[in-house]
Amino acid sequence: MGKTKTLILGLGNSLLSDDGVGLTIAAELKNRLNESDITVMETSVAGLSLLDLLVGYDRAIIIDAIQTLDGKPGQIYRLDPEAFDTTRRTISPHDVNFTTALEFGKKVGLPLPQEIVIFAIEVSDVSTFSEECTPQVTRAIPTCVEMVLQELKRW
Amino acid sequence: MKKITIDPITRLEGHGKIEIFLNDAGEVENSYFQVPELRGFEKFCEGRLAEDMPQITQRICGVCPEAHHMASTKTLDALFHVEPPSPAKKLRELFYSAFYVTDHTTHFYILAGPDFIMGPEAPVAERNILGVIAKVGLELGGAVINARMQNHRIIHMLGGRAVHPVFGLPGGVSKGLNEEERREVEQIAKDSVEFAKLSLKVFDDIVLKNKEYVDMIVSDAYTHRTYYMGLVDEKNRVNFYDGKVRVVDPDGKEFAKYAPREYLDHVAEHVEPWSYMKFPYLKKIGWKGFVDGKDSGVFRATPLSRLNAADGMTTPLAQEAYERFYSTLGGKPVHHTLATHWARLVELLYAAERLLELSQDPEITSPNIRTIPTATPDEGVGIVEAPRGTLTHHYITDERGVIKKANLIVATVNNAAAVNMSVKKAAMALIKPGKEITEGLLNRIEMAWRPYDLCLACATHSLPGQAPMEVVIYNSKGEVVERLGRHLLP
Repeated sequence: MGKTKTLILGLGNSLLSDDGVGLTIAAELKNRLNESDITVMETSVAGLSLLDLLVGYDRAIIIDAIQTLDGKPGQIYRLDPEAFDTTRRTISPHDVNFTTALEFGKKVGLPLPQEIVIFAIEVSDVSTFSEECTPQVTRAIPTCVEMVLQELKRW
Repeated sequence: MKKITIDPITRLEGHGKIEIFLNDAGEVENSYFQVPELRGFEKFCEGRLAEDMPQITQRICGVCPEAHHMASTKTLDALFHVEPPSPAKKLRELFYSAFYVTDHTTHFYILAGPDFIMGPEAPVAERNILGVIAKVGLELGGAVINARMQNHRIIHMLGGRAVHPVFGLPGGVSKGLNEEERREVEQIAKDSVEFAKLSLKVFDDIVLKNKEYVDMIVSDAYTHRTYYMGLVDEKNRVNFYDGKVRVVDPDGKEFAKYAPREYLDHVAEHVEPWSYMKFPYLKKIGWKGFVDGKDSGVFRATPLSRLNAADGMTTPLAQEAYERFYSTLGGKPVHHTLATHWARLVELLYAAERLLELSQDPEITSPNIRTIPTATPDEGVGIVEAPRGTLTHHYITDERGVIKKANLIVATVNNAAAVNMSVKKAAMALIKPGKEITEGLLNRIEMAWRPYDLCLACATHSLPGQAPMEVVIYNSKGEVVERLGRHLLP
């Protein structure tokens, strides 16, 4: 049996302040991890395009920005993909939501990770062009890096 | 008219919003399409080197980075006064055609497909890609995935990475194709042509053979007589990568044809107090409000617009599909917004055929892929057709090539006025006093904006992994009657 292949995927837009937090965390993890069976990637794609990246891995950790109703910026959530199954409307202007994409991929037989964990960081500003996160979100970065490293140990 | 206020709780950054206001009688009074404001782009670009712009601007968007990359690269050609060698232009167009196959495929199967294949009033839980493959079969689902993955492979091959390519340079491209790669591209192109033909057949079987759908497509609720814009080649045929911008009037007559650098003579932007988005219109006609017709400067830049603004396609199968499109819908131009879905499939076939042609071009493996710029940079404009409409980049630099000013007119913005009008017209036709506002009815209103393939991903990317779009309906007291499309955690 081959080694278990793990993907760590940071998502976001590196130009829109806090939206880049997932990318920053992934970049930090890339510096901290040096194991042949763990791949760290940064991307800005969503929906179906995520499937292309997830194919062939046994496990995946996804890191992204999130905005919730009463969230406090910097708060970190550990979520399952099912957390986003609140709607299956085809309302997105261009793509499907993550849960639908995953289910679609599985249905058509793509070799997708058996286990996916999402770390989501509550953000405040995602509409100012800047390569820096806001202070509260910046402070959450090392904490989230540690949480991901702990998660990897559990696996 | 009630004063418009945006509920601070629902004003989640990064999503588009359509607000529909009803009068005392319960009829539609007005509707507004809004997007979030993105602050500071100009400032962000100022002081950067122009040659970094293809990398910077493509990061604005997670949906069409390739379109920004290409528009920006062409802007650099103009800025540095450099003409890329012929093989470089062909490689760019090949790359861009592969991107079109992926993007048009996503839109048709993920967004347009569910409305028609499952039906506009099908339960929400079924009206999505999962419902589609349950109905038409897993095989088609596999074909969709395959078409996307294969063409992403081409983007990766030339762009050096899967997302955010490092491909376009002023005067050329960074990488060519060797013979082995060329053969791989050729095979993918052949498969893509078959896939595009299959997609047109699916449309034919499911939509065109269903009278109810055809009636809906040609109905007044989804029709606007506007001007149309699209890039054309020297023989006025559709081109996604290069050419002049051609505008036709609502009768299909050529109204204007201009080189990218002249765009400011033709397009101006109207500002409304209720929107951060500007509303481009034809300068020579003027802004007459959110109305259609020959006297209104409102234009559309969509797949349907590109077909309307051109005299035909350069590839044989797409030309056939083009002719069938117009003969079925009663001649040119076609004003039915929902026909945009069909137009998109005609373009999908064109993109695949063009990809195949270019993969078989004797020049495509040439190592002559760059002209090194030597002139002093000053000002440049570059225009490509993004899948969702005309995309313009405009940079002004100092003599060292440092950006002093950058202006972008993105595809979705071109259609801002038309989207607003389309939603209002559909809402007025569908929402009637005393008539219950059902889920299906709301979806039929959404169907008015879906053909435009809005790209609000330019705005933000945060979870749940998509740029949401919300429709809110208010009664005459300003109370929310119905809300669609919340993308928040429970």
